[in-house]
Amino acid sequence: MILIELFISFMKIGFTSFGGMSMIPLILEEMQAHGWMTAGDLTNLIAIAEMTPGSLGVNCATFAGTQTAGILGGIFAVAGVLMPAFTLTLAVGVFFARFRKSSAVTHILRIIKPICIAMILNVIITLGRDTFFPGAGIDFFAIAISAAAFVMLRHFKLGIPTVIFTGAALGLLCYGIL
Amino acid sequence: MEKLRKLLSIFLTFFKIGAFTFGSGWSVLAQLEREYIVKRGEISKETLLEIMTVGKSVPGIMITNISMLMGMELAGPAGGIAAVVGLTLPAVIILSGVTYFYDFIRDNYWFSAAMKGVSAAVIAIVASTALSLGREAFREKLAIVICSIAFLLGLFTGISNILMIAAGVVIALVWIGVEKAGEKK
Repeated sequence: MILIELFISFMKIGFTSFGGMSMIPLILEEMQAHGWMTAGDLTNLIAIAEMTPGSLGVNCATFAGTQTAGILGGIFAVAGVLMPAFTLTLAVGVFFARFRKSSAVTHILRIIKPICIAMILNVIITLGRDTFFPGAGIDFFAIAISAAAFVMLRHFKLGIPTVIFTGAALGLLCYGIL
Repeated sequence: MEKLRKLLSIFLTFFKIGAFTFGSGWSVLAQLEREYIVKRGEISKETLLEIMTVGKSVPGIMITNISMLMGMELAGPAGGIAAVVGLTLPAVIILSGVTYFYDFIRDNYWFSAAMKGVSAAVIAIVASTALSLGREAFREKLAIVICSIAFLLGLFTGISNILMIAAGVVIALVWIGVEKAGEKK
């Protein structure tokens, strides 16, 4: 049943991700495996998630769930992605003092963090292939917009909403008018 | 009755912050800090720092983990659940609306032109995040090695991400076990 599938899928994403952008590779993998979302939908969704209140994980779950199975689908997907908070974090909260002294978490994170970075790098390749080289051609506009956005972020330290708005304006200009 | 009022207050406070705070988890955290430390003084600064450290190390969404722990600090497990549901609900309501709207206009000529530009910008945003994360993590040689192996595995073998994370946890646990065994000798 689709509602249970959504719940389990997002529960898997929740338990294997460590916040923010590290969720993107996991979300893309699950969405493509079920055919719930394309890579193009995902980049749109990342932009939407950055511009609306709420975390990326909750926003992705709502979007994918609602698109697949209506409002109920959204609720089941969000419940899934929140399961780590309702189980693990709850348990940790109860045993707070003991958890802080454990070095197990530090060790696990030392290994998981570089893996997360590798996953993000791989997802950049996947998304870049779709966006910069659609079909067999090369999309020079996309490469230029991406380069401009990167400079805005790293060199001029502009905020993400500003960068997304600029991307939209350049998109209108390059793909709409030219 | 007193307890119920407290839970309602937690729910409403987190709901308000969830509805009006844009951007990443860090801006939500700044709002929570202002509300519960500066304004009400119900949580001490040290406790929040501990909560943040733990919230970041537990799997899942950082800010919902932190909300859970803050709610528990204020009113036990029920408080934690009230905080998480309060924080999440506005996003769910707003995004459900956006999703219907998105389906409605995704094929519009101008919208899809703008979104093509946005997609290109998003790749830069993700790349910039990876760069910041890497700068912090790659001070350790071990991290560079692990990242390279995971990167190549992902690129050439199509091994699933979930499996890779699970393998990472197993390796870490074995490592801890070996260290513990070493100490005993």
